[in-house]
Amino acid sequence: MNKMMARLVLLTQLCCLLAATPALAAVGCDLNNPERDVARLFPESTGYKTVYLSFARQGGAPLLKKVENLLGPQYLALYAPIDVPYTLYEVYRDKKKVGYVHGVNQKGQFGGIQVFMSLDLTGRIKSFYLQKITGRAASKFREAGFSRKFEGLTLKDFDSYDPVRGKGTGRIAQIPNPAPELETDFYGILRGLKKNLVLMEEFVYAPERGKP
Amino acid sequence: MTENGWSLKARNLTRVYHRGSEEIRALDGVSLSIRRGEFVSFMGSSGSGKTTLINLLGCLDNPTSGELELAGKSIFGAGKPLGERELTRVRREVFGYIFQNFYLIPTLTVQENVALPLAFYRKLGVQGEMEVERLLKLLGMEQRRDHLPGQISGGEMQRVAIARALVNRPEILLADEPTGNLDTKRAAEIGEVLQELNRSSGLTIVMVTHNPGLARLAGRQIEMRDGLAYES
Amino acid sequence: MITPFQIAYKNLLRKKVRSLLTLVGIMLSTWVLVSLFGFNRGYEAALNRDIDNMGYQLMVMAKGCPYEAATMMLQGGKGLRYMEQSMVNDILKEPGVAEVTPILMQAFFDPNKGESGGIAGFYGVDPASYPAMKPFLRFRKGGWFHDSAAAEVVMGYEAAELEQREVGDLTMVPEKNVPLKVVGILERTGSQDDGTIFVPLKTLQRISQTDQITTIGIKVKKDADMEKLENRLYQLKDVQVVSFSQVKQTVMKLISTARVMVFSIAIVALLIAMVGVVNTVLMSVLERRQEIGILKTMGAMPGDIFRLVWTETLILCTLGGVAGIGFALLFARVTDMLARRVLPYAPSGGLVAIDLRISLLALSIIVAVGLLSGLYPAWKAGSIRPLESIRGE
Repeated sequence: MNKMMARLVLLTQLCCLLAATPALAAVGCDLNNPERDVARLFPESTGYKTVYLSFARQGGAPLLKKVENLLGPQYLALYAPIDVPYTLYEVYRDKKKVGYVHGVNQKGQFGGIQVFMSLDLTGRIKSFYLQKITGRAASKFREAGFSRKFEGLTLKDFDSYDPVRGKGTGRIAQIPNPAPELETDFYGILRGLKKNLVLMEEFVYAPERGKP
Repeated sequence: MTENGWSLKARNLTRVYHRGSEEIRALDGVSLSIRRGEFVSFMGSSGSGKTTLINLLGCLDNPTSGELELAGKSIFGAGKPLGERELTRVRREVFGYIFQNFYLIPTLTVQENVALPLAFYRKLGVQGEMEVERLLKLLGMEQRRDHLPGQISGGEMQRVAIARALVNRPEILLADEPTGNLDTKRAAEIGEVLQELNRSSGLTIVMVTHNPGLARLAGRQIEMRDGLAYES
Repeated sequence: MITPFQIAYKNLLRKKVRSLLTLVGIMLSTWVLVSLFGFNRGYEAALNRDIDNMGYQLMVMAKGCPYEAATMMLQGGKGLRYMEQSMVNDILKEPGVAEVTPILMQAFFDPNKGESGGIAGFYGVDPASYPAMKPFLRFRKGGWFHDSAAAEVVMGYEAAELEQREVGDLTMVPEKNVPLKVVGILERTGSQDDGTIFVPLKTLQRISQTDQITTIGIKVKKDADMEKLENRLYQLKDVQVVSFSQVKQTVMKLISTARVMVFSIAIVALLIAMVGVVNTVLMSVLERRQEIGILKTMGAMPGDIFRLVWTETLILCTLGGVAGIGFALLFARVTDMLARRVLPYAPSGGLVAIDLRISLLALSIIVAVGLLSGLYPAWKAGSIRPLESIRGE
C-alpha cells in the first residue's frame, strides 16, 4: 500500500479519531432510526416531529421532586440534572396528531436498557419496543409475545402494582417473566415502563388536559 | 534706499490670464515703490487689478513679466517663476496677511489661532510664545483667549486674524478687504486698529479696499483702473 | 503652544460621526486580521496538543486494518486483521523507540442492540504498558485492572453513561456472553477514549480465542528520527504505519484552504477599510481648501501640510487598529465559535491565540497600509496653492 494512499485513508479515519464522540444523552434516549422505527411502531403514521422537553422547562425542581416520589424513594435512575432534554416523537397522520413515541433509559444487569413505547392520545400503550438490552437471555424480552402483553396498559394499571417491590395486583402482576435468570432486568423493565408513563403524564398529558 | 530702511520696489509688473482664446491683462505694467513704515491703500472697482496687484506684491502669485525687489534683493525678475516652496519662504519672512473672511480655525481657541503660525515657522525662536501674549494684549483679545471663533464677534475675529498675522513679526501687513464682512461700527474699529499699528510700531501696511472712508485712513492712496495705478 | 499633531487630531474631531465610522471600518478589518493571525498560531498548537494526548506517536497494524473503534464499528466489525504479538519485541529493538504497547481490537455482534442488532467494540490493552503511555488519563471512579488477565473492564466516560454502569456493576460481552466487572470509569477526555471499553489484553484474547493483536502503539524517543523509523517499520511484513505527524500535516493542508479563504476576506476587508480612510481624509482636505491655503500664507510649507494630513491618517489607523485588537481579544471566544463552524475539523481547546507579537504585527500592517493610502490625500493637500483656494469662494 503506497504511503500517500495510506495517509489519505487514515485522514478519513482521523476525523473520528481525534474528534470527540457525539454526546450521548445521559437520561433521555433517542430512536436509532426514527424514520424506520416510528413507521414500525405506528403503521398508520405519515410523519413525525421531534420535540425536546426537560424538567427545567416543564415545571422545574418541584416537578422533579414529584416525579421522583412517584417512582419510589430508592429510585436512582433520575440522577440527571434538571435541564437534560428528553426526546419525544409526536406522530402525525397528515396534519393530525395521532400519538407519541417516547423512550427512557433504565439500568439493567449487564448494561443499559432502552424502553420505548408508542402511545395514543389518551395515554394508552399501543406497542412496546426494547431498543437495547444486554444479557445472555435478553432476547427473550424482545420477543413479540412478551411485548404484546403491554398493549393497552396505562399509568392507572400501576396504581395497583409496585414495580420497586415487585408486588401487586392487576394486569401487570399477571405478566410472566420470560427469562427467570434475568429477574432483576424483568423488574427493571417494569420500572422503566412506569417511569416512561409517569414522564409522559407529567410532560404531555396533564398539561394538555389543563389547556382550555 | 532711504535712511529709514528698505523699500519694496515693483517695476513694470504685468499679469496676463488666458481664458480660452481670450487674453485678459489684469495688470498692465505697474511700477511703484513702497517704503518702510508707509500705510498704502489701493482702491478701485472690481476688475481694476487691485486684487491682482496685491497678490503679486504679497508673493501669492507669479507675474507674467516685470520685477519685484525688496531691500535690493530680487524676488521676481530673475527670469524663472518661483515655486511654492520659495514663495512660502519669502512670505513667511516678510509678510503677514488678513482677508475679508478672517479664516480662523473653528476648532482652535483664540490663543491657539494666534499661535498657529508658530507650529510651522518661528522667526523669533523661543520668544514666539511671548509674542502671542503681547499681541493678544495689544489687540484687546486677552480676555477671550480661551473662546472659540464661533463665540466671538466679527470684529473680534478680525482682531485675532491680525494678531495671528503679526506673530512672526512680518515687515509688511497685507490687508485684502479687511472690513468687507463687518458693519460700519466694527469696520471703523478695525480701521483704527490698523492706523494705530502703523503709527506706534511703524508696521508697513498695504491695504485693498473699496471703502473710501477706510482708504482715507491710509497715508498714501492709490487708485487702480484697468490694470494701471494712479496716485493722487 | 499648538503643535501640528494637535491641529491634526482636532481636525478629526470636527466631523465626529464621519471619523467614528471610518474608525469602525478600520477596527473591523483589524479584528479579522488579528483573529486570523491568532488562529494560525492557536490551531497548530491545539492540534499538537490533541496529538500529544494520544500518548503514542506511531501505530503499527496489519495491512488493511482499521485502526480505531469507530471505523471498525462502521465496517460492521469485519475487516479486522491481525498481527503476531512477537512483533512487539522486534519493534522494541529499533533505535528511536522508547516504548511499545500491544493492543487488540475486537467486535462482537449483539442481537439485542437496536432493531436488528448491532456491534459492540472492545479495546484490549496491556495493563503493564498502556497506562504508562497515557499518564494523563484520569479516573472518575476506580482504577486500572488488578491483573493482566482479570475479568474486568475500564469504561470511558460516555460509554459508562450510555450503559448506566457504575464501578462494581457487571457488563456482558455479547456473542460470547462473558460477564466482566467494571473496575474503573474515566473522566471525560474529549477524545474517542470517552466511548471506549477497555479490557485486559489477555482477557480479550481468551474471549476471542486468539493470541494475536491488531495494533502496536509506539512512543518514540524525544530526539528520534521519525521518518527513518517509519521507513524501517514499513519493512516489517504486511504492516501499515500510522504516523500522527503525517496525519497532522494532512489536516493542516485541509485547513489551509479554509485559511486562504479567511485570509482573502481579511485582505478585502482591509482594502475596503483603507478606501474608507482615503475617502474620509480626502473629503476633509477638499472641505478645508481655503483653510489650507491660509496655513500656507502663515508659512506652512507644502511638506508641513503633507505631514499634517498624513498625521490625521496615522491617528485614524492607529486608533482603529488598537480598538480592533481590543475587540479581537474581547471576543476571542466568539471568533473561536465561528471558526469551529466554518472548519471541517477543529481540535479541542482554544483555537485563537492572540499574543503581543501578533497584535503588534497586525497593528503595523494596518498603519503601514493606512499611511500608504494616505499618501494621495496628503500630497493633494500639500499642492494646494493659497491663491486659488482663498480666491475660490
